[in-house]
Amino acid sequence: MLRRVLLLLVIPLAVTAQEVTYDNSVLAPGWTSLTFTPPSPSSYTLASFTPAKDGDVINQLEEATSLHDLYDDKVTLLNFMYTTCTDINGCPLATAVFHKIQQKLSKDPEIGKKVRLLSLSFDPKNDTPDIMKLYGAGTEKHLVDWQFITTKNADVLDPILDGYQQRIIKEYDDEGNYIGSISHILRVFLIDEEKQVRNIYSVSFLHADLIINDIKTLLDPNTKNGTLVAAADTSSKLDAVKSQTSKLSKPGDNKDGYYDSDYESASKSLHRAGKPADLYTMATTKQLGLPEPKFPEGTELTPKKIELGRKLFFDRRLSHTDTISCAICHVPEMGFAHNELATAVGTEGRSVPRNAPTVVNAGFLSRFFHDARENSLEDQVWGPLLAHNEMANPSPGYLLNKIRAIPDYDGLFEDAYGVGPNMDSLSRALAAYQYALVSGNSPFDKWYYNGESNAISKSAKRGFEIFSGKGNCMACHLVNEEYALFTDEKLHNTGIGFKSSMYVEPPRKKVVLAPGIEVDVDTSVYANDSAFRDEIMPNDLGLYLITQDPNDRWKIRTPQLRNVELSGPYMHNGQLSTLKEVVEFYNQGGVTEVGKMKNETISPLIFPLNLTENEVNDLVEFLKTLTGSNMDTLVLDAFAAPVGDVSLKDPNWFHDNKLKY
Amino acid sequence: MKKLISTLYGMLMSAFLAVALVPTQAFSDETCMSPYMAKIVGQEDYVYVWTLGQVGVGDEQDKLVTISVNPNSPYYGQVIGHISVGGRNEAHHSGFTDDRHYLWAATLDTSKIFIFDVHTNPNKPKLHKVITDFVKASGGIVGPHTTYALPGRMMISGLSNNQDFGGRTALVEYTNDGTYVATYHMPHDENLYGATKTGQIADGYGYDVRALPRRNVMITSSFTGWNNYMMNLGKLMGDSEAMKRFGNTVVVWDLHSRKPKKVFDVPGAPLEIRCAWGSQNNYCFTTTALTSQIWLIYEKDGEWNTESVATIGDPAKIPLPVDISITADDKHLWVNTWNDGMTRVFDISNPHNAKEVYTHKIGDQVNMLSQSWDGKRVYFTSSLLANWDKADGPEKMPQFFKAYHYKDGKLEQQFAIDFLKEKLGLPHQMRFGAYSLYAKSPKDGAKVAELSK
Repeated sequence: MLRRVLLLLVIPLAVTAQEVTYDNSVLAPGWTSLTFTPPSPSSYTLASFTPAKDGDVINQLEEATSLHDLYDDKVTLLNFMYTTCTDINGCPLATAVFHKIQQKLSKDPEIGKKVRLLSLSFDPKNDTPDIMKLYGAGTEKHLVDWQFITTKNADVLDPILDGYQQRIIKEYDDEGNYIGSISHILRVFLIDEEKQVRNIYSVSFLHADLIINDIKTLLDPNTKNGTLVAAADTSSKLDAVKSQTSKLSKPGDNKDGYYDSDYESASKSLHRAGKPADLYTMATTKQLGLPEPKFPEGTELTPKKIELGRKLFFDRRLSHTDTISCAICHVPEMGFAHNELATAVGTEGRSVPRNAPTVVNAGFLSRFFHDARENSLEDQVWGPLLAHNEMANPSPGYLLNKIRAIPDYDGLFEDAYGVGPNMDSLSRALAAYQYALVSGNSPFDKWYYNGESNAISKSAKRGFEIFSGKGNCMACHLVNEEYALFTDEKLHNTGIGFKSSMYVEPPRKKVVLAPGIEVDVDTSVYANDSAFRDEIMPNDLGLYLITQDPNDRWKIRTPQLRNVELSGPYMHNGQLSTLKEVVEFYNQGGVTEVGKMKNETISPLIFPLNLTENEVNDLVEFLKTLTGSNMDTLVLDAFAAPVGDVSLKDPNWFHDNKLKY
Repeated sequence: MKKLISTLYGMLMSAFLAVALVPTQAFSDETCMSPYMAKIVGQEDYVYVWTLGQVGVGDEQDKLVTISVNPNSPYYGQVIGHISVGGRNEAHHSGFTDDRHYLWAATLDTSKIFIFDVHTNPNKPKLHKVITDFVKASGGIVGPHTTYALPGRMMISGLSNNQDFGGRTALVEYTNDGTYVATYHMPHDENLYGATKTGQIADGYGYDVRALPRRNVMITSSFTGWNNYMMNLGKLMGDSEAMKRFGNTVVVWDLHSRKPKKVFDVPGAPLEIRCAWGSQNNYCFTTTALTSQIWLIYEKDGEWNTESVATIGDPAKIPLPVDISITADDKHLWVNTWNDGMTRVFDISNPHNAKEVYTHKIGDQVNMLSQSWDGKRVYFTSSLLANWDKADGPEKMPQFFKAYHYKDGKLEQQFAIDFLKEKLGLPHQMRFGAYSLYAKSPKDGAKVAELSK
């Protein structure tokens, strides 16, 4: 007996001489008791991940059968072995573990009768049915069926090995003679009654207690299907939201209070329940405080057009690298703007120097982009689609060809517009969805246009007094008698862009690295960083970039203010985090000089306001009353929109579906 | 050799006796491979470097670069080949399947996973398959990072999601043949999936994943989402909203059931996780990129805990600890700090009190390191993220692969390859290849088989 033990030890050492070790010097856990409590049966599920391959085999009675016949209506454990294997953590380990399972489950007939153990040899030459029968002698007296099977020859075996990805290396001595051992990675397969592989065990996992729990989990009707982690169903809670302030308009990864050492996270699930809204009615019905819906000549909205536009808006395949959709920067739950970035990030991480504005109520505007370079919603669509630092499509034709080749757009353009994807139908569709992103009927509207005196607080009413009076805000953020868009759509230099252009970074600055952890960073440490493939620039000359007129330096379009509470950070470069900072910026009269540089083109409408602290707070309270009543409806509708991610049918050079050139 | 024919019962009796005689001892690793796979314990023949394409450099696309590192090869110290994969996808980490036949090279931008056949010709890896639909298959997970071998499967940690490109994400499991299996969301405040939130934070972020199978434990760390890791670093440092979006948690999971058990506050972006090898050493290390701490994740009396056990450099200079590597004897932890280009060795004999014992400047910046199983050879690469990397530095070789010998507690450089001069790109993750893994050169281990090919 001692001699045999020594042989068991010697053979694995011979293998390590080939500079490779499988961890056979460590005792596998399957030989002993588990040192941890395994998860109890049915407290978890096992995902179903691949069909177990079939193959012709011969059992120990020399009967021809197949793996699928043997899997029929049982939960099966399959291991690959050969009878002369002596690696302590190889086949003998699997055999010992099977032996334990057979003994334990034979005492539990309800489970045991539904289980089959299979040991399949990968050495058909030596392991004939006779040998397999001899090897398995004694196992047949137990309730749990254990069969020792082999194959006719290597031609039959090889496809089975391939199907189960069993890599084997026959081992040779220095003269090139086969030494009778086969190096392989131990794998044992758990196969369910539907012939699906549900778990694979290796040396580290192969333990009778774990496997028995897995078997019980697969036989439990509640867990046998192996569903994925269940989505948190929040729909009922969400439906109950009726408040005027949008409850859903918060980043799912909300970081309010992050700078405090007692910060507590409030991170939401990525599973979120959506609810489609009647966008067509929303687009075509006048809402309190907003103008009558009006569309450019030739535009006739239909539900199909809006739905197509919505699909496009959330489709990441509309960018050159299939990464960025419109909604990646205009995020629905962030006021259809972006709360987590001061300025946007484009394809391949390229820097966009400006803050993503909200697209809600954009349909009422006649000038687009912070520098007003476009004048229709339809035309502006091509700006981000083609900008190198945004969605980076090489040309309109490329993008249209790609959309034509994406199967899930088949017929959608034709149904909506009577033509396939072209420059006109694509831009009209994207505009159609944005025409439906309409949000009025805010508390301010109810108070101001409908006479509901309790719709806003006293503080907000005082704030409006300042907005329209001492604060001079209404000089640019217009309020009409019938409606209010809160913008004159003109361009003004407030000094915020001037400040960025003339700004010299201080030698040190404070940076918050984690909640309650702030360091005073030497800014030169990062002076040389990240200059590759980027066009980052601190200055942004605004309207001047369009007109080349030096008088237009730093002029930026007046933004609308509806839903302004939801769309921070603020200003065209996202440099101000809160509404209070914005009000304080105007209260000090914008920026008239930086160092010795004078802001020569600052708007005459900007001057120190001399607002008191209370007046600043009142003004902020007023701005918070501009949130539309249907924002949660729009957000829920957006949650219900499909996100366009690359599928195997989409055009890609790796796929069968390639764009032809 | 005499053929043994044994019966099952005879075998079992022998085996049980043998079990009683086999001492339980530690096994080791090249650096940080999954404990489930074959390992190279001798001289490695090749280092495969997963390399980012760079605009204006060579063919501008991501590639797997093969470097000959066996001193017996006439090509020692040279790039012997590369395979370009199309596009700049933010190549990042890579990992072998448990049978070490395939290398899964993941990308953080386009979320593609490139699967290379490394066993047919270890000196000439071949692109075997590309997973292009990772995001769709996984239900919206973006930025596959670690590709960690489990039996017959790969566990992949995501960094982001397709809803807001933030840090909330999940673990995603695939079979070795590239079939999607399941998605396991990181625990977060709205749904902890049964885990205990031990501190104040359950952010749902992800980064690395490692397993300690003997304790049925899986551990994950947390970095940041697409917006931040793709963004220009200077821009990021100036964006106070974006700076709030870094991970502050480590999660301990039940490995078998794939369920999170405990969420720990580990502030400042804990990145790489390396677990001790010793059979009684039930602990792992991680380092926080922003706050420059070494953290210990350890089991005591059956409960898992975390504690900070050392400070790395001067946190006010944000040295940015990146890759780490634990030695086979669990006595030392290598820590690279990217921003100052230093590698640092900490004595972790007492894991609760790590002490810096050696530092060495590797280059203008340094990110990854890989050490051989015996710890005698250490390799370094420079690139961290395409939009975070430095343009240049005083040493005028910002992007490199460098090979060192480590002897008597000191590094001695053997050779360096300038990845920009060679028109290759930005070198990132390294993995070792060897003929011996596939019994391709079993007859004369002293010779490198690329000669006989």
